[in-house]
Amino acid sequence: MYLTRPQLIVSLLAVALALSVLELVRRRKLSEEFSLLWLVSSAGIAALGLSPAVLRSVSRALDIKYESSTVFAAGIGFAVLLLLYLSVRLSRLSYENQQLARELALLRRELEESRGGGTAGAA
Amino acid sequence: MSAPAGGARTLVVVPALNEAESLPPTLARLRAGAPGFDVLVVDDGSRDGTADVARAHGVAVVSHPFNLGVGAALQTGFRYATRRGYDIVVQVDADGQHDPRDVARLVETVASGRCDVAIGSRYVAVTAYRAPAARRLGMVLFSGIVRLLTRQRIADTTSGYRAYGHDVIATCQYDFPRDFPDAPLLIALARSGFRLLEVPVEMGERRAGRSFYTLGKSLYYPYKNLLASLMAWLQRPRGGRT
Repeated sequence: MYLTRPQLIVSLLAVALALSVLELVRRRKLSEEFSLLWLVSSAGIAALGLSPAVLRSVSRALDIKYESSTVFAAGIGFAVLLLLYLSVRLSRLSYENQQLARELALLRRELEESRGGGTAGAA
Repeated sequence: MSAPAGGARTLVVVPALNEAESLPPTLARLRAGAPGFDVLVVDDGSRDGTADVARAHGVAVVSHPFNLGVGAALQTGFRYATRRGYDIVVQVDADGQHDPRDVARLVETVASGRCDVAIGSRYVAVTAYRAPAARRLGMVLFSGIVRLLTRQRIADTTSGYRAYGHDVIATCQYDFPRDFPDAPLLIALARSGFRLLEVPVEMGERRAGRSFYTLGKSLYYPYKNLLASLMAWLQRPRGGRT
């Protein structure tokens, strides 16, 4: 049993990714919540890359001829799920942002009025 | 045609994006054609001093810190109206294509209890307005969708000239289409049990400034509104008449 070159590259990338994620969390640039997703995906890729037995059985089950393709397919799968999740979060963030902007606008109007600068448009 | 009937307090909401040019004549015509109504201009992140122009005309102004969309601007008007105890909100475009003399009629239609949303429509009666072909196609399409999903005949789903009753305003506080408050909104409101009614109004061409509907949006618009219409029909209705 030895690692083929693609397996070796994938494994090294997975380890590098995991270390980067941990470092980003340490520097408080990445929230723990998101780091979990990234660690799980890098662990998944590493498992496929480092263990030929796992890779072979998964590849056989999926009827994939080139085992390295399984690794990349898994990586792309994780990436797609992660992007979908990020889109959901972004939608929520944009909703919250809109509510905040609205509150800001309404409060600014009230502030102007209480300072006497408001005009007589509304009773 | 001054104060509305039944003691209902009414707020005229004018969503405005970069309308410094067309706002003064619109506000002047509002004052002349619909006197006795409080007016709120919701400036949706304009960069041409729209808010200052509106303030100079003595109307209330709420300014979004950045652009949020015409639906979001209307929703800000709803929030403002709720907090200050208004019963009816009338939405009027800033570009001056709506004749303010119809405001009282729209308000009366809601205040009398005949409906919860009165939609000022160019298609109920013969008017001078004639829309471009692509737009007409869209209107027929979305009118058909609204009719299919709600069994209500609304010829002009995109009309931005509407009066909303108290319960509608309350329901729309937290859930409202941010960009195009058209067919999906009408479907959602009908699903919540609100009664929609079209009222014939006169509409002209816009007088100055640019329409909200640019080229990019004209491609996105049908997609978004088709999907949102379907979702509005599938989603659980929120709020409703009390």
